[in-house]
Amino acid sequence: MTRTRGHFFRSLTGRLLLSAVLWSAAALAVGGMLLSFAFRTYVLSDIDRKLEMQIDTMVGISEISPDGVLRFNQPLLDQRFAAPYSGWYWQISEVGADPFRSRSLWDFELTPELGTRAFSLKLSEVAGPDGQSLRVAERDIILPEADRIFRYQVATDTTEVQDAIARFNWLLMGALAFIMLTVSLALVIQVAYGLRPLRNLGRSLSEVRSGHRSRIDGTWPEDLRPLAQEINALIDQNEKLVDRARTHVGNLAHALKTPLSVIMNEVEADTSKKGQTIGVAAKNIREHIDHHLKRARIAGGGSGPGLAIQERVEKLGRAIERLNREKNLKVDVSCAPDLKFDGEREDFDELLGNIVDNAGKWARGHVTITATRADETLRRPFMDIRVEDDGPGVPADERETLFERGKRLDEHVPGTGLGLAIVRDIVELYGGSAYLEEASLGGLAVILRLPAK
Amino acid sequence: MRVLIVEDDEALAEQMRQSLVDTGYSVDHAADGEDGHFLGDTEPYDAVILDLGLPVMDGASILKRWRSDGKEMPVLILTARDGWTDKVEGLDAGADDYLTKPFVMEELLARLRALIRRSVGQSSPQFSCGPVLLDTRNGRVSVDGRAIKLTAQEFKLLSYLMHHEGKVVSRTELTEHIYDQDFDRDSNTIEVFVNRIRKKLDVPIIATVRGLGYRLEWQEGQK
Repeated sequence: MTRTRGHFFRSLTGRLLLSAVLWSAAALAVGGMLLSFAFRTYVLSDIDRKLEMQIDTMVGISEISPDGVLRFNQPLLDQRFAAPYSGWYWQISEVGADPFRSRSLWDFELTPELGTRAFSLKLSEVAGPDGQSLRVAERDIILPEADRIFRYQVATDTTEVQDAIARFNWLLMGALAFIMLTVSLALVIQVAYGLRPLRNLGRSLSEVRSGHRSRIDGTWPEDLRPLAQEINALIDQNEKLVDRARTHVGNLAHALKTPLSVIMNEVEADTSKKGQTIGVAAKNIREHIDHHLKRARIAGGGSGPGLAIQERVEKLGRAIERLNREKNLKVDVSCAPDLKFDGEREDFDELLGNIVDNAGKWARGHVTITATRADETLRRPFMDIRVEDDGPGVPADERETLFERGKRLDEHVPGTGLGLAIVRDIVELYGGSAYLEEASLGGLAVILRLPAK
Repeated sequence: MRVLIVEDDEALAEQMRQSLVDTGYSVDHAADGEDGHFLGDTEPYDAVILDLGLPVMDGASILKRWRSDGKEMPVLILTARDGWTDKVEGLDAGADDYLTKPFVMEELLARLRALIRRSVGQSSPQFSCGPVLLDTRNGRVSVDGRAIKLTAQEFKLLSYLMHHEGKVVSRTELTEHIYDQDFDRDSNTIEVFVNRIRKKLDVPIIATVRGLGYRLEWQEGQK
């Protein structure tokens, strides 16, 4: 589990999503805190302003009675100060005297610190009656009639306001969470959309590897274009290297085979032990060269411009006719003119050469080659090539073994027996198939399914 | 039988030449494509062994030019590249058979024998004319089952006549086909050889056609 998660966050998608989500979460959190703070400040300052106004009103109607007691020269109109525990309170206190309180305070009394002076407005929070929490504004006032200091206090219950703030905060968090969710979703979509060309690039590349395409073509976004160009350049270079390697192998073969002929002929008549040993060794070398050369020559790549096969097949037909002139062999070719093989010319010649040569050896006098485009319902275009002869044929239970390396059913017909195994190798490399059945002419039919263009 | 070898590898060419001479052929050798083409164009060969990879002019081009000039002698191509692409090119250019290097001499000799036989319309490796039997595989000649010993030149001459049974063969033609190009030709020697062969065979199968040459044929009850 940890590993999967590690993998995810190491992926591009993971990185993009993680960083984007972290950033937006941080931004939303800070924004939320600021909003909450601003709301709270606004609400509280509104209350504070009301409290201060109330103090001003109370100061305006205060007077000292002739018996030296502070009283209001007209009643406060606001009924909230009359109802007990209404949530709105006032109290005027003086050192060494009972405070003058609103009726709403009832049996409760605010406890101002009269030891310290507060000529400018002072705000504080205290616990009130009935579990209320009070916001208190207080200020020292010296009335002109008496040279005494009175502490005016006005308080209001903030429980309701705190509740409102809490409600606001919940609402805010909900809204922010919703925004966060939407943003995250949008991010996932954005990343998937943004990274799609990259995934396409990967798919194209794997198609190149499997041989369904030769290049990473198509239009790519500005920032991927250099990458696509580099990959194409790499493919080109790779092709050149393979070509060069193949040419080298061919040259090496040419260079080795002539001197090998000389050695083999030199010891051919030599019956001494030494001569025999050299002869056997030379024969081994020849077999190795043959086998590996054939394997090396198989390209199996495909996806070049495609090889128009009609001319190749007709040429091959003529060549096999010529090889079997003695028995007046007739090779009939029927090939759709626009048919193109998706692969290398050497591979095609090797495939069909081996099969038609084989058919020619066995045939009594007639070989047919039929090439048609395969069923359209296949995933990629294919062609079917059918080679038939009028020879003795092969029993059904022995047909499969024909494709094994070095297998020959009749030792009297010349050939190394390597041919059909090579055919199967090449066919498999191209993702095609080869099978055998009875020919309508009476002999063996070999059916090849090969990639077409 | 006169054979042209066009091969640029001296060692291989020499081996082939030696084997062919030992078997009773007259052999010319060209080491590059231009010489090879010239010789094949001007001399009457019974068969050509042609390497495909040659300097100056490649084997397939030579072959195409010979064929378009109407030269129909059988041609065996040698190729180091045993891929079908090369074989098809060679055969399509007009070759009659191919041999992939490396090969053993026996195989070359067998293919060459078969090519020459085929070119004169004979399907068996043994030629016979009346009681005379000539086996091209081992170079043996017999009359009524009795082995006859012939020299190399005598064998070449008889073999050529056996390959062209019933046809009139001129002295010049015989000379051209049993001697290689370096031989100092003197057509008188042909008559000497023919007489020696007649004596050794002791059956009248070689008739002299006055002013034209010789004809090999057997008529019942001639003995």
